[in-house]
Amino acid sequence: MTQSPFDIELDEMTLAQARRGQLGACERIFRAYQRPAFSVAFRICHCHDTAQEITQDAFITAFRKIRQFRGDAPFWGWLRRVVVNHAISTLRRAPRGDQLEYQDYHASTDGGQEQLGLAMDLEAALAALNAEDRAVVWLHDVEGYGHQEIAELFGMSESFSKTRLSRARARLRLLLDGAGQSVARAATDASP
Amino acid sequence: MNTAKVYSMKQARQRQDDPLNLQRLPLLSPPRDGWPTIEAALRGDTRRRIAWRYATGALAAAATVTLAVGLYWQEAPNVGAEPVTGPEPSVGGRLAADEPLSRARRAPTPRTLDSMVALSQQLETRLRGIRAETGSLPSSDVVYQVELEDLVAQVDEELSRQPDSLALWNQRVSLLMDLERLYENSLRREYHRIASL
Repeated sequence: MTQSPFDIELDEMTLAQARRGQLGACERIFRAYQRPAFSVAFRICHCHDTAQEITQDAFITAFRKIRQFRGDAPFWGWLRRVVVNHAISTLRRAPRGDQLEYQDYHASTDGGQEQLGLAMDLEAALAALNAEDRAVVWLHDVEGYGHQEIAELFGMSESFSKTRLSRARARLRLLLDGAGQSVARAATDASP
Repeated sequence: MNTAKVYSMKQARQRQDDPLNLQRLPLLSPPRDGWPTIEAALRGDTRRRIAWRYATGALAAAATVTLAVGLYWQEAPNVGAEPVTGPEPSVGGRLAADEPLSRARRAPTPRTLDSMVALSQQLETRLRGIRAETGSLPSSDVVYQVELEDLVAQVDEELSRQPDSLALWNQRVSLLMDLERLYENSLRREYHRIASL
């Protein structure tokens, strides 16, 4: 089973304080989950500013409704649902897109240049996908959503989710193969 | 051996769940710190709640005065009527058939079920108006307000089982009047506080 980047444990005390409306506790929760929240928002909408707005709006909604969290499931799952719902509804309203830049990766990857290049290729391939395909493949492969959950999010059938996932993966493979060949060709051209 | 087998199964499952290994992509950090915006929105909520409470309180003064005047006229409709003289002409606790009308009017108005229901509705409407238009109780009084509203809710629950209970309707009216008084006292204190500034 895929482990979601949201899967971060939250202590009961912080949760209880946030439920009572203590801003300090709310800030601790925000700091703990803002990166997974921003990442999933960005991977769905592929726009920095929109992802930032989605993240902020989702946390505001979550803190306003935190008393509705019953505690019968992990908090991160509830929060992730709030963020993803915001992202999907934003995607439906105004699909937009932009590209990640090198410095985004420079700051966030621990690996070497090779890992960095692979991740950049993958990110570029994701950016080239249709917005819904990208959302489906990300939610399924990274966040671990099932087809039924994805279908509910989009208000579609399960076959919608399965078709989109299959199409997105095929397109990503194609794009990554193309990127690999370009890199190889560039290396050959550069050699004396 | 077993460890290797478990590891390879894990890898196989990983390949199935995430064949392109999208999970290798790093978590991203937002370009700006979003907390100040979130904090401002949450503080704004608190301010709005407080403003709403205070807003509800101002109308309460007017409503309480109206209620007091209304109740005064309801309780004493025959001020200046013919004075009653002599002993009470009652038989077995009932008014005598030939009792003068003026004497019957001087007797305390019997609190019938219908009149209590009507009074309860009247108070309810006034309280709604107070809460909607004027606003507010200081936080020290909110505890009592919540307590009284909880008691009203409990009486309502009882009333849903015994809708014709005069005792319960009496209780409901008393609680609503207590709520009115709470608003009135709170506003009086607030008025003096502002006047002393």
